[in-house]
Amino acid sequence: MYHINKIIALAIIILLTGCSIGEKKIKIFSIEKPREKLDYPMPTALELEELKWIIITSENAKEVFKKLEEAGIDPVLFGITDKDYQVLARNFAQIRQKLQETNNLLEEYKKYYEGPEENKQ
Amino acid sequence: MFGQIKMIFTVLLIAGIAGAGMYVMKLRSDNAILKANQSKLESAITEQNKVLEQQKEDFTAILESNKKLNVLINTFKKDLEDLDKRFTKKNRDIGKLAIDRTEAIERIINKGGKNAARCIELASGAEHTEAELKATLKSEINPECPSLANPNYVPYQ
Repeated sequence: MYHINKIIALAIIILLTGCSIGEKKIKIFSIEKPREKLDYPMPTALELEELKWIIITSENAKEVFKKLEEAGIDPVLFGITDKDYQVLARNFAQIRQKLQETNNLLEEYKKYYEGPEENKQ
Repeated sequence: MFGQIKMIFTVLLIAGIAGAGMYVMKLRSDNAILKANQSKLESAITEQNKVLEQQKEDFTAILESNKKLNVLINTFKKDLEDLDKRFTKKNRDIGKLAIDRTEAIERIINKGGKNAARCIELASGAEHTEAELKATLKSEINPECPSLANPNYVPYQ
């Protein structure tokens, strides 16, 4: 009788603790997948063609047209006044500055969101 | 009688051992939960520190970038002022000059046009030539956009 009690008690202990031995724990982990880089190449630089300005005054007009004819060029000129030439120069300077500013912004954005060149894979 | 007392003690002993065992199991489980919580907290702190550090780096990068763009915009203003000065310096009238010294002004304007075109190429991302990079004298620079074309040129005071 005494032994049976012992066995029953031992069985109860094993029954109560059995599930906790060798219990496997669930591991939760997260992996961050970075967004793919857009990585466009920078726009190709411009290669502008050279053009020639001709200054024409009331005094040299005949000579200029004669030279054009001699060179086989149509004797016609598209002219602007000295004031308009200044405006044209200013406009071109502004276009150039806007181009430079936009390119710079693009580079800064690229650097900020994609890191410097050496960090690229 | 003695047998009954012995049995009660045995039952009590077994119940005590079982209780102690269960209590230890409960402690172990609590400990595991606490350990998991602590590791979560630690990883959260590490992550927050990383985020704070990243934010700090981002702010520095933004400030630096803003400073760079402000410098650039100020350079633009100066370049435009310089261009205006070239046309109007000392009451200069480019029209009258062109009448008096037609060929010389034509040469100057063609050179200026060529320089301005080069400035546009550089602004669009063209590579500098060696001569442009080496230019340190006023006679060597591209006067249309010295800050862009000749990064090593320091204007005279």
